[in-house]
Amino acid sequence: MSSSQNLDPFEMWRQIVTKLEGGINSMANNGMNSEEFLRALHQFSQVSTGMQQTFEKALDAYFKALRLPSQKDIAALAEGLQRIEDKIDLLVPIEEREPTERRPARTRQPSGEGTVAAEPTSPRSGS
Amino acid sequence: MASPGAAASETSMADRISVEIDRAIQRNLKGFGYLGSPDPVVGQTPKTLLHRRGTLSLYHYKPIADEVYRVPILFVMATTNKAFIFDLTPGQSLIEFLVKRGHDVYVMDWNAPTGEERYLKIDNYVLDFIPDCVQRVQRHSGVDKVTIVGYCFGGVLSAIYAALHPDGPLKNLVCFTTPIDFGKMKLFRQWTDARHFDLDRLVDTVGIIPPEMITSGFDMLRPAGRIAGQVRLWDNLWNDEYVAAFRRMERWGKETLPLAGEYFRQTIRELMQKNALNEGTLHIGGKPVELKAIKVPLLHVLAQHDHIVPPECGKPLVEQVGSRDKEEVILPGGHVSLVAGANAVKRMWPKLDRWLERRST
Repeated sequence: MSSSQNLDPFEMWRQIVTKLEGGINSMANNGMNSEEFLRALHQFSQVSTGMQQTFEKALDAYFKALRLPSQKDIAALAEGLQRIEDKIDLLVPIEEREPTERRPARTRQPSGEGTVAAEPTSPRSGS
Repeated sequence: MASPGAAASETSMADRISVEIDRAIQRNLKGFGYLGSPDPVVGQTPKTLLHRRGTLSLYHYKPIADEVYRVPILFVMATTNKAFIFDLTPGQSLIEFLVKRGHDVYVMDWNAPTGEERYLKIDNYVLDFIPDCVQRVQRHSGVDKVTIVGYCFGGVLSAIYAALHPDGPLKNLVCFTTPIDFGKMKLFRQWTDARHFDLDRLVDTVGIIPPEMITSGFDMLRPAGRIAGQVRLWDNLWNDEYVAAFRRMERWGKETLPLAGEYFRQTIRELMQKNALNEGTLHIGGKPVELKAIKVPLLHVLAQHDHIVPPECGKPLVEQVGSRDKEEVILPGGHVSLVAGANAVKRMWPKLDRWLERRST
Protein backbone atom coordinates (compact mmCIF):
# COMPACT_ATOMS: atom_id res chain seq x y z
CA MET A 1 0.00 0.00 0.00
CA SER A 2 1.34 3.41 -0.85
CA SER A 3 1.34 6.04 1.87
CA SER A 4 2.85 8.65 -0.43
CA GLN A 5 0.33 8.33 -3.22
CA ASN A 6 -1.48 11.50 -2.34
CA LEU A 7 1.48 13.44 -0.93
CA ASP A 8 2.67 16.11 -3.29
CA PRO A 9 5.23 18.22 -1.44
CA PHE A 10 5.05 20.95 -4.07
CA GLU A 11 1.29 21.30 -3.70
CA MET A 12 1.63 21.13 0.06
CA TRP A 13 4.09 24.01 -0.05
CA ARG A 14 1.61 26.08 -2.05
CA GLN A 15 -1.15 25.31 0.41
CA ILE A 16 1.14 26.32 3.27
CA VAL A 17 1.72 29.70 1.61
CA THR A 18 -2.05 30.22 1.32
CA LYS A 19 -2.67 29.16 4.91
CA LEU A 20 0.17 31.34 6.18
CA GLU A 21 -1.20 34.30 4.28
CA GLY A 22 -4.65 33.81 5.76
CA GLY A 23 -3.23 33.36 9.25
CA ILE A 24 -1.05 36.46 9.11
CA ASN A 25 -3.90 38.55 7.69
CA SER A 26 -6.24 37.38 10.41
CA MET A 27 -3.71 38.02 13.16
CA ALA A 28 -2.85 41.44 11.78
CA ASN A 29 -6.50 42.43 11.46
CA ASN A 30 -7.10 41.49 15.08
CA GLY A 31 -4.07 43.52 16.15
CA MET A 32 -5.29 46.51 14.16
CA ASN A 33 -8.41 46.64 16.29
CA SER A 34 -6.50 47.84 19.33
CA GLU A 35 -6.54 51.43 20.56
CA GLU A 36 -2.74 51.43 20.82
CA PHE A 37 -2.38 50.50 17.16
CA LEU A 38 -4.84 53.17 16.07
CA ARG A 39 -3.09 55.86 18.10
CA ALA A 40 0.32 54.81 16.77
CA LEU A 41 -0.98 54.65 13.19
CA HIS A 42 -2.40 58.14 13.27
CA GLN A 43 0.59 59.62 15.03
CA PHE A 44 2.81 58.08 12.37
CA SER A 45 0.68 59.35 9.51
CA GLN A 46 0.48 62.84 11.04
CA VAL A 47 4.25 63.00 11.43
CA SER A 48 4.79 61.55 7.97
CA THR A 49 2.32 63.96 6.35
CA GLY A 50 3.80 66.90 8.23
CA MET A 51 7.34 66.01 7.21
CA GLN A 52 6.28 65.56 3.61
CA GLN A 53 4.59 68.95 3.54
CA THR A 54 7.56 70.66 5.17
CA PHE A 55 9.91 69.11 2.65
CA GLU A 56 7.70 70.08 -0.30
CA LYS A 57 7.36 73.65 0.93
CA ALA A 58 11.12 73.90 1.36
CA LEU A 59 11.66 72.52 -2.13
CA ASP A 60 9.10 74.91 -3.63
CA ALA A 61 10.80 77.85 -1.92
CA TYR A 62 14.18 76.68 -3.21
CA PHE A 63 12.98 76.43 -6.81
CA LYS A 64 11.20 79.75 -6.51
CA ALA A 65 14.38 81.41 -5.26
CA LEU A 66 16.27 80.02 -8.24
CA ARG A 67 13.42 81.01 -10.57
CA LEU A 68 13.12 77.41 -11.76
CA PRO A 69 9.90 75.43 -12.29
CA SER A 70 9.39 72.48 -9.94
CA GLN A 71 8.36 69.02 -11.09
CA LYS A 72 4.85 69.83 -9.92
CA ASP A 73 4.76 72.94 -12.14
CA ILE A 74 5.92 70.95 -15.13
CA ALA A 75 3.41 68.15 -14.45
CA ALA A 76 0.60 70.73 -14.16
CA LEU A 77 1.72 72.28 -17.43
CA ALA A 78 1.73 68.91 -19.14
CA GLU A 79 -1.76 68.17 -17.82
CA GLY A 80 -3.00 71.52 -19.01
CA LEU A 81 -1.58 70.91 -22.46
CA GLN A 82 -3.21 67.50 -22.59
CA ARG A 83 -6.57 69.05 -21.66
CA ILE A 84 -6.17 71.67 -24.36
CA GLU A 85 -5.34 68.99 -26.92
CA ASP A 86 -8.39 66.99 -25.91
CA LYS A 87 -10.58 70.10 -26.15
CA ILE A 88 -9.22 70.84 -29.63
CA ASP A 89 -10.09 67.30 -30.65
CA LEU A 90 -13.58 67.76 -29.29
CA LEU A 91 -14.08 70.92 -31.35
CA VAL A 92 -14.19 68.68 -34.39
CA PRO A 93 -17.80 67.52 -34.90
CA ILE A 94 -18.36 63.96 -33.77
CA GLU A 95 -19.29 62.90 -37.29
CA GLU A 96 -15.89 63.96 -38.53
CA ARG A 97 -14.09 62.43 -35.52
CA GLU A 98 -15.77 59.10 -36.03
CA PRO A 99 -16.30 58.94 -39.79
CA THR A 100 -16.05 55.20 -39.82
CA GLU A 101 -18.07 54.55 -36.66
CA ARG A 102 -20.96 52.29 -37.41
CA ARG A 103 -24.38 53.35 -36.18
CA PRO A 104 -26.24 50.07 -36.08
CA ALA A 105 -30.01 50.01 -35.68
CA ARG A 106 -31.27 49.91 -32.11
CA THR A 107 -33.59 47.03 -32.76
CA ARG A 108 -31.90 44.16 -30.98
CA GLN A 109 -34.15 41.86 -29.01
CA PRO A 110 -33.30 39.49 -26.16
CA SER A 111 -32.07 36.07 -27.19
CA GLY A 112 -34.71 33.91 -25.52
CA GLU A 113 -37.13 34.94 -22.87
CA GLY A 114 -38.52 38.25 -24.08
CA THR A 115 -38.58 41.58 -22.29
CA VAL A 116 -39.51 42.27 -18.70
CA ALA A 117 -43.13 43.38 -18.24
CA ALA A 118 -43.69 47.09 -17.72
CA GLU A 119 -44.71 46.65 -14.06
CA PRO A 120 -43.04 43.48 -12.89
CA THR A 121 -43.88 42.02 -9.51
CA SER A 122 -40.81 39.77 -9.17
CA PRO A 123 -39.69 39.60 -5.54
CA ARG A 124 -36.12 40.22 -4.43
CA SER A 125 -34.02 37.12 -4.89
CA GLY A 126 -30.56 36.16 -3.77
CA SER A 127 -28.22 33.52 -4.95
CA MET B 1 8.33 -6.75 -3.02
CA ALA B 2 6.97 -3.29 -3.98
CA SER B 3 3.19 -3.14 -4.47
CA PRO B 4 1.74 -1.85 -7.78
CA GLY B 5 0.34 1.13 -5.89
CA ALA B 6 3.77 2.11 -4.59
CA ALA B 7 5.30 1.75 -8.05
CA ALA B 8 2.60 3.95 -9.55
CA SER B 9 3.12 6.47 -6.78
CA GLU B 10 6.89 6.57 -7.36
CA THR B 11 6.32 7.08 -11.09
CA SER B 12 3.86 9.84 -10.37
CA MET B 13 6.27 11.50 -7.93
CA ALA B 14 9.06 11.19 -10.49
CA ASP B 15 6.79 12.92 -13.00
CA ARG B 16 6.00 15.68 -10.51
CA ILE B 17 9.66 16.25 -9.76
CA SER B 18 10.41 16.36 -13.46
CA VAL B 19 7.66 18.94 -13.97
CA GLU B 20 8.92 21.09 -11.11
CA ILE B 21 12.50 20.97 -12.37
CA ASP B 22 11.28 22.03 -15.79
CA ARG B 23 9.31 24.88 -14.21
CA ALA B 24 12.35 25.96 -12.19
CA ILE B 25 14.39 26.20 -15.39
CA GLN B 26 11.59 28.16 -17.09
CA ARG B 27 11.36 30.42 -14.06
CA ASN B 28 15.03 31.37 -14.33
CA LEU B 29 14.86 31.94 -18.06
CA LYS B 30 11.66 33.97 -18.00
CA GLY B 31 12.54 35.85 -14.82
CA PHE B 32 15.02 38.04 -16.67
CA GLY B 33 12.43 38.76 -19.33
CA TYR B 34 9.91 39.73 -16.69
CA LEU B 35 12.29 42.23 -15.08
CA GLY B 36 13.03 43.98 -18.34
CA SER B 37 9.64 43.97 -20.04
CA PRO B 38 7.45 47.06 -20.51
CA ASP B 39 4.03 47.56 -18.91
CA PRO B 40 1.31 45.36 -20.35
CA VAL B 41 -1.12 46.86 -22.87
CA VAL B 42 -4.64 47.25 -21.53
CA GLY B 43 -7.90 48.78 -22.67
CA GLN B 44 -7.66 47.62 -26.28
CA THR B 45 -11.36 47.54 -27.19
CA PRO B 46 -11.75 50.39 -29.72
CA LYS B 47 -13.26 53.51 -28.21
CA THR B 48 -13.68 57.23 -28.83
CA LEU B 49 -13.16 60.00 -26.30
CA LEU B 50 -16.44 61.94 -26.31
CA HIS B 51 -15.71 64.42 -23.58
CA ARG B 52 -12.93 65.38 -21.22
CA ARG B 53 -13.24 67.85 -18.38
CA GLY B 54 -10.47 67.80 -15.79
CA THR B 55 -10.76 64.62 -13.77
CA LEU B 56 -13.56 63.26 -15.98
CA SER B 57 -13.31 61.44 -19.30
CA LEU B 58 -16.30 59.97 -21.13
CA TYR B 59 -15.69 57.24 -23.70
CA HIS B 60 -17.90 55.50 -26.22
CA TYR B 61 -17.03 51.99 -27.33
CA LYS B 62 -17.41 51.29 -31.02
CA PRO B 63 -20.29 48.92 -31.75
CA ILE B 64 -19.47 45.76 -33.68
CA ALA B 65 -22.83 43.99 -33.71
CA ASP B 66 -25.18 44.43 -36.67
CA GLU B 67 -27.87 45.74 -34.35
CA VAL B 68 -27.73 46.95 -30.77
CA TYR B 69 -30.13 47.14 -27.87
CA ARG B 70 -32.05 50.40 -27.74
CA VAL B 71 -30.97 51.55 -24.28
CA PRO B 72 -27.28 52.48 -23.95
CA ILE B 73 -25.20 51.59 -20.88
CA LEU B 74 -23.09 54.11 -18.98
CA PHE B 75 -20.46 52.63 -16.67
CA VAL B 76 -19.47 54.74 -13.66
CA MET B 77 -16.06 53.70 -12.43
CA ALA B 78 -14.95 54.05 -8.81
CA THR B 79 -13.03 57.29 -8.40
CA THR B 80 -9.98 55.57 -6.90
CA ASN B 81 -9.05 53.58 -10.00
CA LYS B 82 -8.94 53.54 -13.78
CA ALA B 83 -11.77 52.01 -15.76
CA PHE B 84 -9.56 49.69 -17.81
CA ILE B 85 -10.38 47.03 -15.21
CA PHE B 86 -13.49 46.59 -17.37
CA ASP B 87 -11.32 46.09 -20.46
CA LEU B 88 -8.13 44.31 -19.45
CA THR B 89 -7.33 42.41 -22.61
CA PRO B 90 -9.16 40.71 -25.51
CA GLY B 91 -10.94 37.71 -24.07
CA GLN B 92 -10.78 39.15 -20.57
CA SER B 93 -12.86 42.30 -21.12
CA LEU B 94 -16.36 42.92 -19.80
CA ILE B 95 -16.70 45.80 -22.27
CA GLU B 96 -15.73 43.59 -25.21
CA PHE B 97 -18.16 40.91 -23.94
CA LEU B 98 -21.07 43.37 -23.80
CA VAL B 99 -20.23 45.06 -27.10
CA LYS B 100 -20.14 41.67 -28.85
CA ARG B 101 -23.57 40.92 -27.43
CA GLY B 102 -25.05 44.06 -28.90
CA HIS B 103 -24.92 46.49 -26.00
CA ASP B 104 -24.06 50.13 -26.65
CA VAL B 105 -21.43 50.95 -24.03
CA TYR B 106 -20.16 54.25 -22.63
CA VAL B 107 -17.73 54.61 -19.73
CA MET B 108 -17.03 57.42 -17.26
CA ASP B 109 -13.33 57.12 -16.51
CA TRP B 110 -11.28 59.28 -14.18
CA ASN B 111 -7.98 61.12 -14.36
CA ALA B 112 -5.95 62.32 -11.39
CA PRO B 113 -7.62 65.50 -10.10
CA THR B 114 -5.45 68.57 -10.38
CA GLY B 115 -4.73 70.98 -7.57
CA GLU B 116 -7.61 73.18 -8.68
CA GLU B 117 -9.96 70.22 -8.32
CA ARG B 118 -9.17 69.65 -4.65
CA TYR B 119 -12.49 71.30 -3.77
CA LEU B 120 -14.62 68.81 -5.71
CA LYS B 121 -17.22 67.10 -3.54
CA ILE B 122 -19.64 64.20 -3.95
CA ASP B 123 -22.12 66.90 -5.00
CA ASN B 124 -20.02 67.65 -8.10
CA TYR B 125 -19.96 64.01 -9.11
CA VAL B 126 -23.69 63.31 -8.67
CA LEU B 127 -25.13 66.70 -9.63
CA ASP B 128 -22.70 67.61 -12.41
CA PHE B 129 -20.46 64.87 -13.78
CA ILE B 130 -23.01 62.06 -13.93
CA PRO B 131 -25.96 64.11 -15.23
CA ASP B 132 -23.66 65.79 -17.76
CA CYS B 133 -22.46 62.42 -19.03
CA VAL B 134 -26.01 61.07 -19.11
CA GLN B 135 -27.03 64.02 -21.30
CA ARG B 136 -24.07 63.46 -23.60
CA VAL B 137 -24.96 59.78 -23.90
CA GLN B 138 -28.55 60.73 -24.72
CA ARG B 139 -27.40 63.16 -27.41
CA HIS B 140 -24.83 60.80 -28.87
CA SER B 141 -27.11 57.77 -28.90
CA GLY B 142 -30.33 59.59 -29.74
CA VAL B 143 -32.08 57.66 -26.94
CA ASP B 144 -33.85 59.22 -23.96
CA LYS B 145 -33.25 56.47 -21.45
CA VAL B 146 -29.87 55.31 -20.13
CA THR B 147 -28.82 52.36 -17.97
CA ILE B 148 -26.14 53.14 -15.39
CA VAL B 149 -23.71 50.50 -14.10
CA GLY B 150 -21.69 51.59 -11.08
CA TYR B 151 -18.72 49.69 -9.64
CA CYS B 152 -17.84 49.97 -5.95
CA PHE B 153 -17.84 53.69 -5.10
CA GLY B 154 -19.02 54.32 -8.64
CA GLY B 155 -22.09 52.43 -7.53
CA VAL B 156 -22.45 54.69 -4.49
CA LEU B 157 -22.34 57.75 -6.74
CA SER B 158 -24.78 56.11 -9.15
CA ALA B 159 -27.22 55.22 -6.37
CA ILE B 160 -27.07 58.76 -4.96
CA TYR B 161 -27.64 60.16 -8.47
CA ALA B 162 -30.59 57.80 -8.96
CA ALA B 163 -32.11 58.77 -5.61
CA LEU B 164 -31.80 62.47 -6.37
CA HIS B 165 -33.21 62.17 -9.90
CA PRO B 166 -36.24 59.88 -9.53
CA ASP B 167 -37.94 61.36 -12.58
CA GLY B 168 -34.78 61.48 -14.64
CA PRO B 169 -33.72 59.52 -17.70
CA LEU B 170 -32.43 56.50 -15.76
CA LYS B 171 -33.87 53.29 -17.20
CA ASN B 172 -32.04 50.65 -15.09
CA LEU B 173 -29.46 50.71 -12.32
CA VAL B 174 -26.81 48.03 -11.89
CA CYS B 175 -24.30 48.08 -9.05
CA PHE B 176 -21.29 45.84 -8.44
CA THR B 177 -19.91 45.45 -4.87
CA THR B 178 -21.39 48.76 -3.78
CA PRO B 179 -21.10 49.65 -0.08
CA ILE B 180 -24.17 51.15 1.57
CA ASP B 181 -23.82 50.24 5.24
CA PHE B 182 -20.34 51.59 5.93
CA GLY B 183 -20.75 50.46 9.52
CA LYS B 184 -19.99 46.95 8.33
CA MET B 185 -16.58 48.02 6.97
CA LYS B 186 -15.16 47.48 10.44
CA LEU B 187 -11.46 48.12 9.92
CA PHE B 188 -11.93 51.18 7.72
CA ARG B 189 -14.38 52.51 10.27
CA GLN B 190 -11.93 52.05 13.11
CA TRP B 191 -9.04 53.60 11.22
CA THR B 192 -11.10 56.70 10.44
CA ASP B 193 -12.64 56.98 13.92
CA ALA B 194 -12.83 60.67 14.78
CA ARG B 195 -11.31 60.00 18.23
CA HIS B 196 -7.95 59.20 16.61
CA PHE B 197 -8.10 60.34 13.02
CA ASP B 198 -7.74 64.07 12.40
CA LEU B 199 -9.50 64.16 9.06
CA ASP B 200 -9.56 67.94 8.75
CA ARG B 201 -5.84 68.27 9.45
CA LEU B 202 -5.01 65.65 6.81
CA VAL B 203 -7.20 67.18 4.10
CA ASP B 204 -6.18 70.76 4.91
CA THR B 205 -2.51 69.73 4.79
CA VAL B 206 -2.39 67.69 1.59
CA GLY B 207 -5.30 69.09 -0.42
CA ILE B 208 -5.29 66.09 -2.76
CA ILE B 209 -5.17 62.69 -1.05
CA PRO B 210 -2.16 60.85 -2.51
CA PRO B 211 -2.74 57.48 -4.18
CA GLU B 212 -0.17 55.84 -1.88
CA MET B 213 -2.45 56.52 1.06
CA ILE B 214 -5.39 54.94 -0.72
CA THR B 215 -3.33 51.89 -1.74
CA SER B 216 -1.95 51.49 1.79
CA GLY B 217 -5.45 51.54 3.18
CA PHE B 218 -6.49 48.65 0.93
CA ASP B 219 -3.22 46.77 1.52
CA MET B 220 -3.68 46.97 5.28
CA LEU B 221 -6.84 44.91 5.01
CA ARG B 222 -4.61 42.01 3.90
CA PRO B 223 -1.08 42.82 5.07
CA ALA B 224 0.37 39.51 3.85
CA GLY B 225 -1.37 39.77 0.48
CA ARG B 226 1.35 41.61 -1.36
CA ILE B 227 4.16 39.29 -0.25
CA ALA B 228 2.05 36.19 -0.88
CA GLY B 229 1.29 37.57 -4.33
CA GLN B 230 4.99 37.95 -5.09
CA VAL B 231 5.67 34.39 -3.88
CA ARG B 232 2.91 33.06 -6.14
CA LEU B 233 4.23 35.12 -9.02
CA TRP B 234 7.69 33.63 -8.56
CA ASP B 235 6.15 30.17 -8.35
CA ASN B 236 4.28 30.77 -11.62
CA LEU B 237 6.95 32.64 -13.60
CA TRP B 238 7.02 29.67 -15.97
CA ASN B 239 3.35 30.28 -16.82
CA ASP B 240 3.07 33.09 -19.40
CA GLU B 241 -0.71 33.44 -18.97
CA TYR B 242 -0.45 33.74 -15.21
CA VAL B 243 2.32 36.33 -15.47
CA ALA B 244 0.42 38.36 -18.07
CA ALA B 245 -2.73 38.40 -15.93
CA PHE B 246 -0.71 39.30 -12.83
CA ARG B 247 1.02 42.18 -14.58
CA ARG B 248 -2.25 43.60 -15.88
CA MET B 249 -3.71 43.62 -12.38
CA GLU B 250 -0.45 44.97 -10.99
CA ARG B 251 -0.60 47.84 -13.47
CA TRP B 252 -4.17 48.60 -12.44
CA GLY B 253 -3.15 48.69 -8.78
CA LYS B 254 -0.14 50.91 -9.53
CA GLU B 255 -2.38 53.40 -11.33
CA THR B 256 -4.56 54.03 -8.27
CA LEU B 257 -5.74 57.63 -8.46
CA PRO B 258 -5.47 60.43 -5.93
CA LEU B 259 -8.70 61.85 -4.55
CA ALA B 260 -9.95 65.41 -4.27
CA GLY B 261 -9.56 66.44 -0.64
CA GLU B 262 -13.08 67.75 -0.08
CA TYR B 263 -14.53 64.63 -1.72
CA PHE B 264 -12.44 62.50 0.63
CA ARG B 265 -13.44 64.61 3.62
CA GLN B 266 -17.14 64.29 2.79
CA THR B 267 -16.86 60.54 2.12
CA ILE B 268 -15.13 59.84 5.42
CA ARG B 269 -17.21 62.20 7.53
CA GLU B 270 -20.64 61.57 6.08
CA LEU B 271 -20.48 58.03 4.76
CA MET B 272 -17.84 56.34 6.90
CA GLN B 273 -18.12 58.08 10.27
CA LYS B 274 -21.85 58.96 10.28
CA ASN B 275 -22.99 56.13 7.97
CA ALA B 276 -25.38 58.73 6.59
CA LEU B 277 -26.30 56.95 3.36
CA ASN B 278 -27.49 53.86 5.20
CA GLU B 279 -29.16 55.91 7.93
CA GLY B 280 -30.99 58.09 5.41
CA THR B 281 -29.45 61.30 6.76
CA LEU B 282 -27.18 62.15 3.84
CA HIS B 283 -27.80 65.48 2.13
CA ILE B 284 -26.33 66.35 -1.24
CA GLY B 285 -26.90 69.74 -2.82
CA GLY B 286 -29.16 70.53 0.13
CA LYS B 287 -31.48 67.62 -0.69
CA PRO B 288 -31.95 64.46 1.34
CA VAL B 289 -30.73 61.25 -0.30
CA GLU B 290 -33.36 58.57 0.21
CA LEU B 291 -32.67 55.24 -1.44
CA LYS B 292 -36.40 54.47 -1.37
CA ALA B 293 -36.80 57.15 -4.07
CA ILE B 294 -35.08 54.75 -6.51
CA LYS B 295 -37.85 53.00 -8.42
CA VAL B 296 -36.05 51.78 -11.55
CA PRO B 297 -35.12 48.12 -12.04
CA LEU B 298 -32.05 47.35 -9.94
CA LEU B 299 -29.47 44.58 -10.00
CA HIS B 300 -26.82 44.46 -7.27
CA VAL B 301 -24.05 41.91 -7.64
CA LEU B 302 -21.99 41.19 -4.55
CA ALA B 303 -18.87 39.07 -4.13
CA GLN B 304 -18.94 36.28 -1.58
CA HIS B 305 -15.31 36.72 -0.53
CA ASP B 306 -15.07 40.48 -0.85
CA HIS B 307 -12.65 41.70 1.83
CA ILE B 308 -13.21 45.39 0.96
CA VAL B 309 -17.03 45.47 0.66
CA PRO B 310 -18.33 42.42 2.53
CA PRO B 311 -21.77 41.30 1.32
CA GLU B 312 -23.46 42.54 4.50
CA CYS B 313 -22.17 45.99 3.63
CA GLY B 314 -23.98 46.03 0.29
CA LYS B 315 -27.20 44.23 1.18
CA PRO B 316 -29.09 47.35 2.32
CA LEU B 317 -29.19 48.66 -1.27
CA VAL B 318 -31.80 46.17 -2.45
CA GLU B 319 -33.49 46.29 0.96
CA GLN B 320 -33.97 50.05 0.88
CA VAL B 321 -34.80 50.95 -2.73
CA GLY B 322 -38.40 51.43 -3.76
CA SER B 323 -38.03 49.42 -6.99
CA ARG B 324 -40.40 46.52 -7.57
CA ASP B 325 -38.03 44.89 -10.06
CA LYS B 326 -34.93 44.38 -7.96
CA GLU B 327 -32.47 41.56 -7.54
CA GLU B 328 -29.43 40.89 -5.40
CA VAL B 329 -26.97 38.23 -6.50
CA ILE B 330 -24.02 36.99 -4.47
CA LEU B 331 -21.43 35.24 -6.62
CA PRO B 332 -18.18 33.50 -5.67
CA GLY B 333 -15.17 35.73 -5.98
CA GLY B 334 -13.48 38.76 -4.53
CA HIS B 335 -13.94 42.48 -4.92
CA VAL B 336 -12.02 42.68 -8.19
CA SER B 337 -12.19 39.12 -9.49
CA LEU B 338 -16.00 39.36 -9.53
CA VAL B 339 -15.72 41.91 -12.33
CA ALA B 340 -12.42 41.13 -14.02
CA GLY B 341 -11.17 37.73 -12.91
CA ALA B 342 -10.87 34.62 -15.04
CA ASN B 343 -14.15 33.24 -13.65
CA ALA B 344 -16.08 36.44 -14.25
CA VAL B 345 -16.39 35.36 -17.89
CA LYS B 346 -18.67 32.49 -16.92
CA ARG B 347 -20.24 33.90 -13.75
CA MET B 348 -21.04 37.59 -13.52
CA TRP B 349 -20.84 38.64 -17.16
CA PRO B 350 -23.51 36.25 -18.49
CA LYS B 351 -25.77 37.11 -15.56
CA LEU B 352 -25.38 40.81 -16.31
CA ASP B 353 -26.04 40.26 -20.01
CA ARG B 354 -29.20 38.23 -19.35
CA TRP B 355 -30.50 40.82 -16.89
CA LEU B 356 -29.76 43.75 -19.18
CA GLU B 357 -31.01 42.26 -22.44
CA ARG B 358 -34.55 41.96 -21.09
CA ARG B 359 -34.55 45.55 -19.89
CA SER B 360 -32.77 47.32 -22.74
CA THR B 361 -35.31 47.18 -25.55
